[in-house]
Amino acid sequence: MILLAFVSNANARMRARLVGPVRMACLVFSLLMLVLTTGMFFRYFGDVTWMDIGFNEYEFEHKYTWVESLGINWAVGLDALSFPMVWLTTFLLPVTIIATWNEKHGATYFPLLLMMGGALIGVFVSLDLFMFYVFWELTLIPMFFLILKWGGKDRKYASQKFFIYTFTASVVMLLGLITLYFLQDPYSLASSGTMTGRSFSIPELIDNARANNIGDNWYLGAQMQKILFVMLMIGFLVKLPAVPFHTWLPDAHVQAPTGGSMLLAGVMLKMGAYGMFRLPISLFPHALYHFQLALMIIGMVSLVWGAIVCLGQTNLKKMVAYSSVSHMGVILIGIATMQPMGWAAALFMMFAHGIISPMLFAVCGAFKHHYHSMEIGAMRGMAKHSPWLATSMMFAWMASLGLPLLAGFVAEIMMLIALWKMISLDGWSIWWMVGPALVLALTAAYYLWSMQRTIFEGGEDTQPPASMKGHAIPDISNSEKFAMLILALFTIIFGVLPWIALDMMDDWTIQAFEGLIIPLLKGGA
Amino acid sequence: MSTVQNVEPFGDGFIAALCPELIIFAGLLALIIIPNIGKGTFRIPGTQTRVMWLFGGERFKITSNPKMPAWIATITLGAAFVQTVLSFQDGVDRTAIVTENGTQLLLVNGFSRVFEMIFFGALTLAAFASMNRLEVKGIGPRLSTDDLYNNRRQADFYILMLTCGLGMSVVALAQDLFVLFIGLELASFSTYVLVAFYKESKVGTEAGMKYFIVGSVASGVGLYGLSMLYLWAGSLQFDVLAAQFVINGTDPLPLIGIGFVLVGFGFKVSAAPFHFAAPDAYAGASSPVAGILATASKAMGIIGLIRMLLIVASPEASEDGTVWLTLLGIISLVTMTWGNIAALGSTNPKRMLAYSSVAHAGYMLAAITAIGAWNWDDSLAGEPGEAAVAVLTAVIFHLVVLVAFKLGAFLVLSVLESDGDASRLSSLGGLAKREPFLAVAMFVFMISLAGVPPLAGFVSKLLVIMGIVKVAIGQMGAEIMAGGDYGLADVHWVWWLALAMVINSAISVFYYLRVVVVMFFEEPEEGRTGPLPSGWQVRFAILACLMVTLFMGVASDQLLEICEVAAKSLNYSWN
Repeated sequence: MILLAFVSNANARMRARLVGPVRMACLVFSLLMLVLTTGMFFRYFGDVTWMDIGFNEYEFEHKYTWVESLGINWAVGLDALSFPMVWLTTFLLPVTIIATWNEKHGATYFPLLLMMGGALIGVFVSLDLFMFYVFWELTLIPMFFLILKWGGKDRKYASQKFFIYTFTASVVMLLGLITLYFLQDPYSLASSGTMTGRSFSIPELIDNARANNIGDNWYLGAQMQKILFVMLMIGFLVKLPAVPFHTWLPDAHVQAPTGGSMLLAGVMLKMGAYGMFRLPISLFPHALYHFQLALMIIGMVSLVWGAIVCLGQTNLKKMVAYSSVSHMGVILIGIATMQPMGWAAALFMMFAHGIISPMLFAVCGAFKHHYHSMEIGAMRGMAKHSPWLATSMMFAWMASLGLPLLAGFVAEIMMLIALWKMISLDGWSIWWMVGPALVLALTAAYYLWSMQRTIFEGGEDTQPPASMKGHAIPDISNSEKFAMLILALFTIIFGVLPWIALDMMDDWTIQAFEGLIIPLLKGGA
Repeated sequence: MSTVQNVEPFGDGFIAALCPELIIFAGLLALIIIPNIGKGTFRIPGTQTRVMWLFGGERFKITSNPKMPAWIATITLGAAFVQTVLSFQDGVDRTAIVTENGTQLLLVNGFSRVFEMIFFGALTLAAFASMNRLEVKGIGPRLSTDDLYNNRRQADFYILMLTCGLGMSVVALAQDLFVLFIGLELASFSTYVLVAFYKESKVGTEAGMKYFIVGSVASGVGLYGLSMLYLWAGSLQFDVLAAQFVINGTDPLPLIGIGFVLVGFGFKVSAAPFHFAAPDAYAGASSPVAGILATASKAMGIIGLIRMLLIVASPEASEDGTVWLTLLGIISLVTMTWGNIAALGSTNPKRMLAYSSVAHAGYMLAAITAIGAWNWDDSLAGEPGEAAVAVLTAVIFHLVVLVAFKLGAFLVLSVLESDGDASRLSSLGGLAKREPFLAVAMFVFMISLAGVPPLAGFVSKLLVIMGIVKVAIGQMGAEIMAGGDYGLADVHWVWWLALAMVINSAISVFYYLRVVVVMFFEEPEEGRTGPLPSGWQVRFAILACLMVTLFMGVASDQLLEICEVAAKSLNYSWN
């Protein structure tokens, strides 16, 4: 499948002379990929029931030797953790392409999006640390160019900040990975390199870790486990982003073109959460317990701080970006609850936010595209002038603030329940509920307030913003309408029938819990 | 352990062993002779008969072609390069060139071959690309004297290139400190002149002068150290020195001597604090020459360091042989940090590349420190030799691929230089619009220098970091499995060098990206909007560099094997 993604973008680049055909080719390829992944879900391709895949077991596994001397393999596979993310990527690609169909872009814009998609899928499917890291970094390059080439006014600053922040974090992660690599017992794993005697294989490492993480026995020893956990987490927390490291996100989002933001918020942020589940949590559950409080605090701070900052924003896109920070806090809290429910909430949040946030950014993009401004006060009485945009904006905003029956709600309510369970079962202070409760109110406040100022206020007598230069106010185009409709449709589907995706995530978390956490609690090897 | 095959000069097997060097030598002769072939005649004394002897007089059209020397040099160096690469195909044999009484002078093995590969590869590309750099003022007999002189320069330039290659390969082969020094000086003097050769720009001469003065001071200090070592050991053979070092390596005399020798090599690899001449020299020299300084010349210095530190003063040799270890660690830390921070502030792309090359020197010094650290500490003793080979493989791999992306970057600047000027960051402005191929190539070189996957620069940096971490961790993995609990305090301190490398790589992204931003998103400078000067040779060389950079990032297995062979053949007790 990655091959498909790469072949497609190679093809597209070859034909990069003409915008039109390229655009079409990109759309067709991305649709093909979507059909493929959806087919995989409905068991047309490969007979896989996504429900009962055990922890650390993978479907569609393929493995080729890449660099034998170092134990590097080209290993791909899917499980219930990565499959929803892969589907999400393939789903968002065509939607993004459709949503930005009519914006003025050069011939390389859509191929870059596809390349981005290919790298993202690569991150999600790779079962080899080396490959994982390569794809992880590879996502930076198309994004860097997307922001740099089609971004807003301060795009140079934003793209460099984005690149440097995430690159710095991921080289720290890289050093952690290499240290982990050499801490293995030489030649203990099946796919060890001939020269170094160590392996980069993720499944084998996890198996090895599980065999050693029993009771009070820490894999690699307590101190090392903590150090490595922190080093890996730095990479993932910056990507997520959690609060002390979040400042690249608003800049990158505000300056990025719509398509870039949609993919950035929709999938790229999830790389951080996905990475956490795949590596530090799977490898170092002891350290996870050790740093539970720290993660909880970071999560809470992200949640509350993101929401508070949202209140003060006058820039629509910046507000949406900070709301992403806030929502990523939910994921972190979900992980830190150390409840299967909380983990499932985190997974579903990744998924739901992956559908909702692109819609938020699509609305922002349409706003910018048609009104040439991002200021919240610039355009008033949108309901009158552009009913379609107003409706989709309202829908997206509502979905994001967690309206019942929409996808975001499911994740949030699950997180709250998990938090309650944690408080009642593990004896945490009840004050931990204050943060989420506060944020529920804050989120409603900033979303409703911004809606009031853009959609409803004013009316007949509002003037179009000065940036329109007296042109008539258009509504959104058909392709934008279509993209919005699709996104809204899926928000509803996953809100009403969350089990479609939730079941497999639930399954995975329970299996993971049994595989990882229970052995710790039982004690005694 | 294979045995050494001893060959006396001009004895059996001499030609086979020194084939690349002999090719260069033949090229050198050809370069001197061919431009002088003309319609000259020779009068047999005492008669009136004149015999054509083809020397001097009015030159033939083809021999006076100013492009001729460039082609000869490129073909010669290319042939030498191919010869070295081919020698890997059927296993490198160990052949020593000995004097009559059996003293080893030169040793041909995997280690020296791979470095020759680096030298000849870099020089071939530089020579080929230089064809577009030295201005040709017409061909044929009807030229003014000035123009003739100008054309004559062509031959001089390429003769210097060849002597440079010859000197470097002697350094790679040398088994004797004195022979090594001769090679080093031959190469150094050629580079001094090559730097000053860029007469079109005022800074060229100044740079050459500076480089020469600092370089000769460094050589002088090195020579002084050499004399001290000779005084102490009575010989400059590496094996004799190493044997002596085991016995009384803690004497002050050899330590001071080695320290002085290292100053000489430190200058070549532009390690802090001997790097001050480097930015000036790089900025003043024409770009292909600067590229040679940053790749081949640096590899030459690294050879010196490796030979001195790992063979002569190897830490296993004596208990306190690790005196230099801490010092080298500190120097590497200072070098990489200084280089990167200075590069942040430089607005001249060539200076920036010079400082980045200082930073890369720091990375390689860190790797050498790690090799030194591998087995002196009993608690961390690893598989003997294995870690050292891993790190050394990484260093050699780094030096090989560095030729591709560092020289490539300089060659792109070279094109801009022929357009007028490449001494400001803004001269790269709008390169993406003026010539997309060059911009894309430069982009790839830059992010490869920064170490972004999946490019060659990433692989090499990864290997170096991996080697250092491996040394630092040693057997800890097995001990942890046996129930030990270790923290960072138990890891050998070279691990922190790896961390420093990683942080430095992150810093370096700043200035590499800045170049990219300027290329793609800034308008060209005033009056520099037109297409760039043509010249397919330099573009071909850039394309070659680009291919290697991309290819080695994903399929480095073969080259790694070669480098491993080379690393293993440095010290046969490692196997």
